[in-house]
This record gives sequence, structure tokens and C-alpha cells, in this order.
Amino acid sequence: MNEFLEQFLIEAKELVTQATDDLLALESRPDDQDQLDSAFRAFHTLKGAAGIIEFAPMGRALHAAEDLLSRARTSEVRLDPPRIGECLTVLDQVVQWLDVIEGTGELPEHAGPEADVIVARFVHAAPSPAPAPGAQQRLQNPDDQWVAKLFAGDSARPAHRQVAVRWRPDSACFFDGGDPLAAVAALPGLMALDISPCKAWPPLEEIDPFACQIEITALAAATLGQARLAFGEAADQVEFLELDGSDQTLPQPARDIIQAQIELLEAPPDSGSAGRLRSAGRVAVNVLRSLGQDQQATSLTKVLGERPDGPALAVALRRLLGTGSPAGPSAQPQLRAETAARSLRVDVDRIDALVRLTGELTVIKNGLDHVAGLAEAGVTPAALGAALRDQQALLGRLVDDLQHSVLSIRVLPLRHVFQRFPRLIRDLSVSLDKPVRLVIAGEATEADKAIVEGLFDPLLHVLRNAVDHGVETATARQAAGKDPQAVIHLRAARQGEHVLVEIEDDGRGIDLDRVRETALKRGVASAEALAAMTPAQTAELVFAPGFSTAKAVSDLSGRGVGMDAARAAVAQMGGRVQLESRPGHGTLVRFVLPFTVMMTRVMTVEAAGQAFGLALDTVVETLKVARDDISTIGSAAAFVHRERTIPLIDLGRALGAGHGPLDKPDATVVVASVAGQRVGLEVDRLGGRMDVMLKPMEGLLAGMAGVAGTTLLGDGRVMLVLELGELLS
Amino acid sequence: MSVSRGGDGVISLVGDCTAQDAERLLTALLDDRKAIVDWRACDSAHTAVIQVLMASGAVVEGPPRGWFLAQHVAPILTQGRS
Repeated sequence: MNEFLEQFLIEAKELVTQATDDLLALESRPDDQDQLDSAFRAFHTLKGAAGIIEFAPMGRALHAAEDLLSRARTSEVRLDPPRIGECLTVLDQVVQWLDVIEGTGELPEHAGPEADVIVARFVHAAPSPAPAPGAQQRLQNPDDQWVAKLFAGDSARPAHRQVAVRWRPDSACFFDGGDPLAAVAALPGLMALDISPCKAWPPLEEIDPFACQIEITALAAATLGQARLAFGEAADQVEFLELDGSDQTLPQPARDIIQAQIELLEAPPDSGSAGRLRSAGRVAVNVLRSLGQDQQATSLTKVLGERPDGPALAVALRRLLGTGSPAGPSAQPQLRAETAARSLRVDVDRIDALVRLTGELTVIKNGLDHVAGLAEAGVTPAALGAALRDQQALLGRLVDDLQHSVLSIRVLPLRHVFQRFPRLIRDLSVSLDKPVRLVIAGEATEADKAIVEGLFDPLLHVLRNAVDHGVETATARQAAGKDPQAVIHLRAARQGEHVLVEIEDDGRGIDLDRVRETALKRGVASAEALAAMTPAQTAELVFAPGFSTAKAVSDLSGRGVGMDAARAAVAQMGGRVQLESRPGHGTLVRFVLPFTVMMTRVMTVEAAGQAFGLALDTVVETLKVARDDISTIGSAAAFVHRERTIPLIDLGRALGAGHGPLDKPDATVVVASVAGQRVGLEVDRLGGRMDVMLKPMEGLLAGMAGVAGTTLLGDGRVMLVLELGELLS
Repeated sequence: MSVSRGGDGVISLVGDCTAQDAERLLTALLDDRKAIVDWRACDSAHTAVIQVLMASGAVVEGPPRGWFLAQHVAPILTQGRS
């Protein structure tokens, strides 16, 4: 890809973000002129950039939105939520194109028709040329059989939107010089045509060749505007049906087949259920594939793959027919797969710091030259050692600085991930018909690029759960004396070496009784275990794999799979998830994440003759405890420190490596904080502190509990860095 | 003249067939109901002509030269007969 295009991609993404932010802000404050100007400028600049790089369809689509915004600026039109929605749709499309451009360097082939659809949406939204009233009314009825018939003959139709037309020309039209088929032939992107007699053909001798007696139906990959244009004055007699690619009307035979599968799935369960489920799923996927609807087929395959069950599949199939979920097919928000940013914008100061550090490295190189000279000149080993130490100290400081500088280049503000949520929450809120306001704070908080990018999925799961399960319906909220509009807070803050990200809703909280009930039913926990659990522990069960409290299968948050996945994703980044719930008042989910995934500060200790690393943030302090002060309780030991009883664990023994020497009068103890509890670890010897690049365990050792990773020591030995939480649980 | 009758029971449609040609075609078909319509040299045909072809159920010999006819209209005519 050339540099020009790369630059375009970077800028385009920023402009899309800017425009999205502005549009969302305009939705809550429609009269904010500054915001409107800013949105207009973003669209305008983006259009200009697309023009320069000769992406005409992109320019065309953006122009349509820009035009609307321009008219909104002069108060010619009001920027109501549907219009804002149209503008956001343009941005969605642009983002999709940008993704393709990033991969191929070019706009996708179908960008032209896609842009036409968008332009047509705006033509449609414009107050002026309204379609004939009759036609407009019929547009509302997408189930027309004639459309299905057109599709039946056209199995390989592409998955774009189209216009279907039906026309019964005036019988006298030939006298006026009319040639209906010529008009149809002029339809851009004509895909299918059917001609049928209005009534059964009379005997040949009774046919009046000058009376038009046919009905024409056609399907074209065109916009409504283009289609109307092709029919000229006759357009008023023509019935148009705009078919959106997103709620593709399936041909009737396909609908029938899928309907049959739904009935099959909804039959009472018996021994054959599992087989029925698989075959129903396969049939539906094959039907979709045969229609060229690969995208739908793929998403259905996913439903099958995740955790196949009858109801979920039935919901998915109903959605295909447009008869299922309350949200309907087009209301499902488009969730784009996370694509990691390949380019970073870096502050020049940070680059300058690197340049300076590189200069200093040269100084040290020269310093080493000097030391080598000393060695050759035969100075005493002690003097040579001292000179080497000096250089080592300098180099050490420099490497620290360098590491710090390099890592700071990878640091991004959380805004990069947060900024995607207002739009998603807006769409979710609309599709679930729950008014929700997302309040974001602390988006300037920085974290490592890997963390920022890894946060999208877990945050999405938690936010979706919050909207779907946490927040009540507006009516339920009013009944409970709450503001009908729910508020979800998304906050971030830096706390020492950690980054905290919190998602708090003011919904109904977690219903503990239902959690217990479900946990019992699903076999997640036994009745005895449940009875012994604190409320907090019970709430934590929502993270258990396969747990669900959702009454109905929802296409939004799935069935509790999300929370499980969110916790796993956060854990993978070295973080943990905390949950607080106040019944009736809301739920708080907190991600505690390391600031950087690359560097871990550890304290080295020696136990059973081997060196181990302990994450420094778990270490509270180190102590010498006299043997006499250690009381043994059965096989366990404890000591009192600062008026607290702290359990004492022999680290060597806990690792299965045997005892350390017990003959010493004092025990060397590291007091660590594990899951909020203090615990004392007896070790043989304390080492130093060091920053290590932690290498996660791989291959056969990947599943090893209690080990966070490994690192190399200066002498080439491998040191295991322990994960105390796992080790002691 | 875009509609011509050969002596061998073949009616030929040639070039661009107009609405007037529809009547000529109808007359020709009424004369010889079993005639085959050869439209291989037909570039375009008025709706009225297509209507007569459909109503008569005449056997057509194609494909027609015109793209629109070949692509979209011919399949309808043949499909009507099968």
C-alpha cells in the first residue's frame, strides 16, 4: 500500500470517529450548532479525501450525508434521530469500505451499488419527490408473493439490496407510443424479469395486438430513484418495492423449508432431539448457501457451533424469516469484529526521547572501549571490576529508560476502545426498546495498546449484559420509582500499576435467588455449596461457564456465555474481574488490568533451592518472624503481625519441592495479598526486585496452575513467576 | 419489413420489430399456426410483438441477437411452453 493511502486510512478513521461522536452528541442536543458544524466538517473533509484518492462511491455516499447536514445547518431540515441514524449508516458503510481498502488497497467491487443504496436512503428521507401514494403504501408489505416469485428464478442473486417492480401497463399504452418492455430493459442492473398475461390468453384470432394485456415484474440492482427514473412518466403506474440487503426477503420455497425446521425444533423434546437439531441446522444453512446468502449462513453456523440448542436455533431461524425476536431483523446492531489498529499516532516528544536515549547508548559504547583499554593496559582486577560496574550501572539505567520509552509508545488512551460504545449502546437501546444513556469518564486514561485493544470484547459482553439483563424496561423502572432512562457508566482510572475499568448500571441488580435456583438446576453448584456462599460469592456464579439467568434466549447477550468469556479475556491480559451488585439499584463490574502486559515487576525469592518470582504488586512486605512466634494449628501454621493473624505457608512445600532449612532461628516471610487476604510465605532467601518480560506458558505447560509465566535470569537460568492466587486456592 | 414469411413454415423477425410488426406477425401466425418464428436476427422487439409470441405459443428459434431479448425475454417464452 502506498504512503498516500496509508495516510488516508489513518485520517479517515479519525474523521469517522469524530463524526460519530458529533452525531451521537447531536442526538441528545439537537440544537448544538458547534457540534453540527463539527459533524459537517468531518463529513466534508472525509468526502474531500475520498475524492482525492478517487474513491468515487465513497465520496457519493458521504456527499449525501453532508448535504443533509448542510441543510440542517441552515435549519432547512431538522436533524431528528432517524436522520442521524441515516448519517451513522453512512459511517458504518465507510468503515466497512475502509476495512476492505486496508486489506486490498481498493474499494470493494460492489461499493458502487452500495453507495447508490445509501444515496437513495437520503433521497427517500428528503421531503421533496414523494412516491405515488399507492406505491408508497404497498412498499410496507414485503411479503408480496410476486417478489418471492422473482427470487425463485434467480438463485444466485447477490446479497445487495434491490428494487422489485411490478407494472400492469395501461392497455392503451401502445397507442401512445409506449413500449413497456423497453422501459424495463432500461432499468439499471436488471436481474430478473417475468411477463405474464393479465388474464388467460384468448384464442389467437381474438387477440388485439394493439392492446397491452400483460403484467411485468422485474428485479433490479438499482435504487428506488434510478428505477423511477427508468419508467419516466409511467412511474406512477408502477409498483416499487425496495429490498434492503439486511432484511432480505427469502424466496417462498426457502421460507417454507425454514418454517418446517422451526416446527421441527419446537416439537416437544425426546430422544431424537439432538439429531433433529443438527439436521435442522444443516438444512437451514444449506438453504441460505444455495441462495448465496453466505453471511447469514455463516452466522447461523456460529449459532450451531457455540452451544447448539433447539430454542436458540429456532430464534435464529425466526429472525431469518423476520417473524422472530421482538427487535426484528434490521434492528440487530451491526457488531463489527475487532480489528487491531496497525498504525499508531505517536507524540513527537516520545520519539525525541528515543533519539536522545540512542545517543546515550553511543556514549556507553565508548565507555566500554575505554574499559577494554584499561584491561589491556593491565590494571588490577579490582579496578577493572569497578570500572565495569560503573558502566553496567549506566547501561542499566539507560536500558530502563529505553524500555520505558518504547513501552510508552505503545500506550494508548482508552478512548480508542470507549469511543465505539456510545454507538453500540444507542443501537442496543433502540433494538431492545430500553432507553439507556451511556456516561463515559476517564477515557483519557492510558494503557498498553494490547490492553486497550483486548478490552473491546469483554467490555462489549458486559455492556450488552447490562442493557439486556441489568436494565429494566422503561415501564418497570417507572413502577420502581426510577427515571425511565437508565444510566450506564463506563469509567476508567489509573491506580498505581493498574488500570481500572468499571461498568456500572442502575438496573435491577443481580437476583440472587434466581442465581441460586439456576446454579442448582444447571449443576453449577450443589445445594450445600450454595447455602454456604456469601451473597458476593453467589453473584460471582454468573461468571461460571455455561451459567445463564436469562429467561428467554436473547440474540443480544446470548446465554451467560458472555460473562464467562469476558472474565477469560480479562484474565488473559493479566487482569481480574470484580462484581458488585445491589438488588434493585444496579450492578458494578470492575476490570482490574495491568498497565502494561509487557513488563512485570517481580521480587525474586528462593525456596527449596530454586529461584521464583512473585509479582511485586501482590507483595505487601517482608519480615523475619522468630520461630517461637509461629503457632502451629494442626498441620497449618500462623503468626500474629500488627494485631492480625496471618496464615503461614511454606512456599517450598506448597510447590511440592520439599522443606527449606528449618534450623534457622527466624523464618524469612513474604507477606502477600491474595484475593484481599493476607498470607505469609516462608522462603529460604529473599532476592532483589526486577522488571521482567514475562513469557506466558506455552504448549504442554500452558495449563499449569500457579505459574504466571517464565523469564530468563542473568545467569541463563529460567525463573518461574508464580501466580499466587491460583497457587493457594 | 421486419417480419417476413418464408415458404417453409418459418416466420423471420429481423432487426428492430415495432408495434406495427405485431399485427403482421399475428396475421402470419393466423395463416400458419404451426409456423416456427425465427428471431435469431432480431435486435429488439416491441412489447406488442412479445405479447403476440406469448399468446400464440409459437415455437421460436433463437437465441435472438438482442441481448435483452436473449437474456430476459427468451427464457420466458420457452418456459411458457414447457
